[in-house]
Amino acid sequence: CKKYLDINTSPNTAEQVDPKLLFSYATVAYMNLRSSGDLYIPIGLAGQSLNAGGNNPTGWSGGDPSPDIYTFSANFFNNTWVSLYVRGGANLQQAIKLSEAASPANNNAAAQSKVLLAMMVYDITTTFGDVPFTEAWKAEILYPKFDDQKTVLEGTLALLDQALAQFDEASPLKIGANNDGYDLLYKGDIAKWKKLAKSLKLRTLLTMVDKDPSKAAAIGTLVNDAAQAMVNGVTDNVAIPYQDVPNKRNPKYAISLQYNGGKNFFFASKPVVDIMNAAPSVDPRLPKFFDKPAGQATYIGVVPGADAVDAINPRIAASLHSPAAPEVMYTYQEQLFAEAEVYARGLGVPVDLGKANTLFKQGLAESCKFFGVSATEAGVFSTSFPAFSGQANAVLTIHEQQWVDKMDRGLDAFTQWRRSGTDGSEVPVLTLPIGAPAGPIFRRFEYPITNEISNNPNAPKTTVRYNEKMWFDL
Amino acid sequence: QDRTITGTVTDKEDGKPLPGVTVLIKGSKVGTQTGGDGKYAISVPSGSTELSFSYLGYTVQTLAISGSTVNAVLESDSKALTEVVVTAVGIARQAKSLGYSVTTLKGDELTKARETNVINSLAGKVSGVRVTAQSGTVGGSSKIIIRGASSFNSGSTSNQPIFVIDGLPVDNSSQQVNTISTSSVPQGSAGSDYGNRAGDLNSDDIESMTVLKGAAATALYGARAKNGAIVITTKKGKKGQTTITVNSSTRFDNVLKLPSFQNEYAQGVQGVYSSGPTVNSSSLNGWGPKIIEVQDKTFTNYLGQQITLQAYPDNVKDFYNTGKTYINSVSFDGGGDSGDYRFGYTNTTQDGIIPNEKLKKNVVSFNAGRNVAPGLDVRTNVNYTRTVADGRPVQSSNNPSVLQSIVYGLPRTIDTKVLKDNYFDPVTKQQIALTPTRTGNNPYWVVNNNNFSNVVDRVFGNAIVTYKPLNWLTISNNLGTDFYNEFRRGVTRQGTIGSLTGDFYAANIYNRIINNDLLLTVDQKLTEDLSLKVIGGYNVFENFYRRDLSDAQQLIADQLYNYANAGSVVTTNTSNQKRIQGVYGDVGLSYKDYLFLNVTGRNDWSSTLPANNRSYFYPSISSSFVFSELLPKSEWFNYGKLRASYANVGSDTDPYQGVFQYSPISAAFAQYGYGSTFPFNGVLAFSSPATIPNLNLKPQNQASYEVGAELRFLQSRVNLDVTYYNTNTSDQIVRLPLPQSTGYSAALLNAGSVKNSGVEVSLGLIPVKTQDFTWNMDVNFSRNVQKIELPSNLASYSLASGWSGLSIKAESGKSFGIYGVAWLRDDAGNLVIDEATGLRKTVSDKRLGNMSPDWLGGINNTFSYKGASLSFLVDIRKGGVIYSNSVSSLRTSGLAKETLLNRGRVFIDKGVVASGSTFVPNTTPVTSMQDYWAQYTTTNTEANIFDASYVKLREVRLSYQIPAKVFQTSVKFIKGAEIGVEGRNLWIIHDNVPHIDPEANFFGTESVAEGVEFNSIPSTRTIGFNIRIKI
Repeated sequence: CKKYLDINTSPNTAEQVDPKLLFSYATVAYMNLRSSGDLYIPIGLAGQSLNAGGNNPTGWSGGDPSPDIYTFSANFFNNTWVSLYVRGGANLQQAIKLSEAASPANNNAAAQSKVLLAMMVYDITTTFGDVPFTEAWKAEILYPKFDDQKTVLEGTLALLDQALAQFDEASPLKIGANNDGYDLLYKGDIAKWKKLAKSLKLRTLLTMVDKDPSKAAAIGTLVNDAAQAMVNGVTDNVAIPYQDVPNKRNPKYAISLQYNGGKNFFFASKPVVDIMNAAPSVDPRLPKFFDKPAGQATYIGVVPGADAVDAINPRIAASLHSPAAPEVMYTYQEQLFAEAEVYARGLGVPVDLGKANTLFKQGLAESCKFFGVSATEAGVFSTSFPAFSGQANAVLTIHEQQWVDKMDRGLDAFTQWRRSGTDGSEVPVLTLPIGAPAGPIFRRFEYPITNEISNNPNAPKTTVRYNEKMWFDL
Repeated sequence: QDRTITGTVTDKEDGKPLPGVTVLIKGSKVGTQTGGDGKYAISVPSGSTELSFSYLGYTVQTLAISGSTVNAVLESDSKALTEVVVTAVGIARQAKSLGYSVTTLKGDELTKARETNVINSLAGKVSGVRVTAQSGTVGGSSKIIIRGASSFNSGSTSNQPIFVIDGLPVDNSSQQVNTISTSSVPQGSAGSDYGNRAGDLNSDDIESMTVLKGAAATALYGARAKNGAIVITTKKGKKGQTTITVNSSTRFDNVLKLPSFQNEYAQGVQGVYSSGPTVNSSSLNGWGPKIIEVQDKTFTNYLGQQITLQAYPDNVKDFYNTGKTYINSVSFDGGGDSGDYRFGYTNTTQDGIIPNEKLKKNVVSFNAGRNVAPGLDVRTNVNYTRTVADGRPVQSSNNPSVLQSIVYGLPRTIDTKVLKDNYFDPVTKQQIALTPTRTGNNPYWVVNNNNFSNVVDRVFGNAIVTYKPLNWLTISNNLGTDFYNEFRRGVTRQGTIGSLTGDFYAANIYNRIINNDLLLTVDQKLTEDLSLKVIGGYNVFENFYRRDLSDAQQLIADQLYNYANAGSVVTTNTSNQKRIQGVYGDVGLSYKDYLFLNVTGRNDWSSTLPANNRSYFYPSISSSFVFSELLPKSEWFNYGKLRASYANVGSDTDPYQGVFQYSPISAAFAQYGYGSTFPFNGVLAFSSPATIPNLNLKPQNQASYEVGAELRFLQSRVNLDVTYYNTNTSDQIVRLPLPQSTGYSAALLNAGSVKNSGVEVSLGLIPVKTQDFTWNMDVNFSRNVQKIELPSNLASYSLASGWSGLSIKAESGKSFGIYGVAWLRDDAGNLVIDEATGLRKTVSDKRLGNMSPDWLGGINNTFSYKGASLSFLVDIRKGGVIYSNSVSSLRTSGLAKETLLNRGRVFIDKGVVASGSTFVPNTTPVTSMQDYWAQYTTTNTEANIFDASYVKLREVRLSYQIPAKVFQTSVKFIKGAEIGVEGRNLWIIHDNVPHIDPEANFFGTESVAEGVEFNSIPSTRTIGFNIRIKI
């Protein structure tokens, strides 16, 4: 009788798994979020690095209100939250738990998971502001409190420090061991993971430093310490490729294929094109970024919210949104621009415009090469920039190129823009899109009602609107 | 050779003649009635041996024909109320001995105005039972709730009663198949409505349907008892010569309620049709130019033609066809002293109101019993149903084939008759879309290409062996099985906007129930006055479920739905198994046939619960007291019974909930895209569970009591049945939705309770009764009050969420409610307006109304005149709310009639604006009425919430029993015939929702949630003809 009833073990699931299987799911869920319709599209459009085309029938808006004029679906908020907290974060937390509980412990797997988790936490807080962190991902706490953004950002720094202390390059135990492919970022190269962890610390500190100037010291430490090698070559880039196989293609490509007959939905945004057109020589990235209509001499970006005209306005280049195009999460040029900014602003180091200039030009050349410009052309273009005429000019120029470089990276561009200056002085200065509701411009995603607010008694009770600034955003 | 028999029928009580008594030749439908003097005369064929005399309120009497005079003396049935009711586990008991409320519907009640889903026949007829059709889809699902929802969670057995056929519990699930593709909405009733499995039952094979409402009635089902039971007895052959019954219905359907449209404005944006004279409008709405003002201009339509704008007021109506249904059944039955048999066949062919929507259902049933040796009887009942449905329209959202929004969203200037022939361009081989944007699917492209279909093959049946070795002892065993395979497929043709590369999915769903009950019955008279009946039983129940689902994407050859023709195929499979063992007993005592006491107990062991928590005991006690037996005879009061019961039952949970387990993942989600399937770059993936498991889960526990009375007055011309019940379902097994910052979407735990208490009243009246004419009136009323209790640390939680911030929640001290975004109001209740825009401000997560109605009522009138009968049923629902996405779309798109108001004028919304700490009247006009109505977006829940009350004319039937003498002269082989005109859902007499029928629900029958309409297929009105012949 007892045996007859002992059938409550699922034939479809596993009670034990290798943590790499959770890590791989978290990675793919994360890259999909960053390159598809819940995060990439709405933030790219609202953040003005992409353009929806207004009433252009084959543009993203297609005549209907879209995120470019601040019409957001609740799905964006809910799905982004779920992708980061559940599909991504929860699986990494399990991977960390299983790795550390294993005998012997798989320290590298735990540390790799922590670095990826830190990236997700950074994205969560830069998207939503104050969010659960210290009490998140704990099965025993059903209603996590919301931490202020400073606490969350400090938390990502702590996670990265934990990971750095935990990495064990000598150990054969890791995700991506024996080149099994499960480390989609670095194929199990722990040295690269350590460099990435330090670079991510720098990125976080730079996001915090305007609001919390005490972070300058830590920035100085990172930049000064030669032993603290950060990302220092294109082989350190985190750019995970998609595959040119149905249902494994980059969503940026697949969305156009599925809904627009293969025609790219997105137009060149005027604020991006304007910076590129203002360069001292023709920006060789223009044809890499955009497909110019036949017969057009110049690249004419679309004013945010305005109607795009097929004969005049370029769309995002088919080559950029190719089927196997990678999801880019961290690049060498980003590192170089960041270091250039550190020296230009003197954050924890003395102001050194010369060094900043060198790093900036190096970064600009790397950016060009990253998008497929030849090394020669990249060199010519980057050296066409005059030396910085002063600190303000240096910071402005660096910020402009940081934003342009991240044109196709949705949230990354938007965060860069928000931290680039005080309200109204961001780089570039953006204005309310045509047709958007009156009021301040886009600053964040609103909290997801369904997946968090309505279920969490500890969640903020007042609605935080999309145009309210968050802690780091001055 | 016929002879004429005459006689007089008198009342035993006073010896007076009884007029209007039905006199039937036994075994046929041939009969007559007594006249005012109680006399009758009937022509009897030579083979007939008996006459039966029946009269309402009196015991039927059967007398042998001897000589040419047969006199009958009828006895009022208050003396000998021997109505037998089939109760739990197939136990037949005298109605008067029951200590709880039971309602039985006879088979002919169900085949009056036949419904393809037999559950719908219960609507409005049984107090305390709420039936809601989920959509107007052919073969669509219907939800049944008895005495209020008792559970927080969803699932086919969570709030729905169990269905039992001849002692065999059968499946009534409504599977929601989650596809990974663009059709990411579950393909159950939430996507296409694939029906619920009770819809497989055939009303022509049903002898009776008994609704056991309270837990005391169902306590013998133990862990499955808490939501009541629908106990069905199938038809058996009757002793006598073989009878052939033919029943044929032809019915026609149309849309019960269509939206009211404006017919003055064309499509466009803020009054402008399109960006240029040679460009088609990108908008599917009514915000373009005023048609009458642009008669001097031409515009480019979706066909590229230059046209003068013109409204087609009936364009939406023209889209719908007249639905046609043909139900034909034939049955053969007969029997002798040692056995009986019945064979039935029913064919249903239905064409829906949506083009290409079709359903075919064939049912074969066989029921035979035989006495094989003294005291030993065997009986078997086998039923095979095959249902084939095509063109099930897609509802709700997130699928390019969602039909209702396309049809209701047609600009007023599109002529459907032209559209019908212009959905496919023979030159380009492409769809002719309505707009160049990514929302412009042509509805005829959708209905002609994107077919969502299913095929169900189902067999259920049982074998019963009964052995009666001693006259006080019966041993019986009932072994049965119910299994089906359902194949579902949904195809989206290449070129469909929203899935240009095409896709399809196919699912095989297999479900099997095996059930065995071994029963031992001891029936002993202890003394002259005291009888004892003891029943002992042992039950084994197993349910196995398996599903294989394949999603194919990016098709190559056009319209070839083969996996080899797809760029990517993702296959997922799942299965689960559950077992329950139970030992039960029922002890019944009766004293002098007026005092009855029943005690039952059942111990269940469920495989789904942790081993240390899996054994549970469920007791019940019920008593009935026919107090009128002790009263002196009275002219005005002829029967009175009091009843009371108490029961404690429970329910287990789904399989595999107790362990933390990792699931293999087939694809990672990406909004608007195909996502990424694994292996991805060569790697596989697993995920931690969405729900935190619980190692200490307990069964849910339901305690209930019920008291009631049955009273009959004036020779049973007034029958009153009143019940009060109170149930408390505690230790709810819930998937408590968690804030997802926990990393989980839910936690499985025992928490909270649902209290339902209510009153049910049934009143039967015979206001008029003469020799030829009778007026019967049955009125039922039920009111259920639900009250939730949650742990103190939990203010509320979400039972289910719709899109866009809407959720169905439970909150302490309240009933299940709909919550969502609401208009912001000041303390005085004025709408708060944004000074900058003139538009209203909103707040999130407000309670906006009760999900369930306050009360339900039904009024059924039957007028009989000689062989003719006219009946009509009025079904009333009062209270509760419904959210309508369709209304939202009609308004935001400027197509609804009310959007004409104030167009082109300065409009200042009535409300207040904040001025410091106080509010002052708003003076800011809205920019345009298009902006004003845009506030009624689907994300604004309150703007689209309506009172769900209704009064409906549910059923009308006119029938005429052709007098036997017609056949006696010409076609003697016909024993009886009846013709009828029937109508279902004829008229919404009153409702408070614009544009849609308030009876709709996109959540599906298994979900606890109701009250949300999301592009639901509109309900239909049905009128039909019926002829029934017995040979």
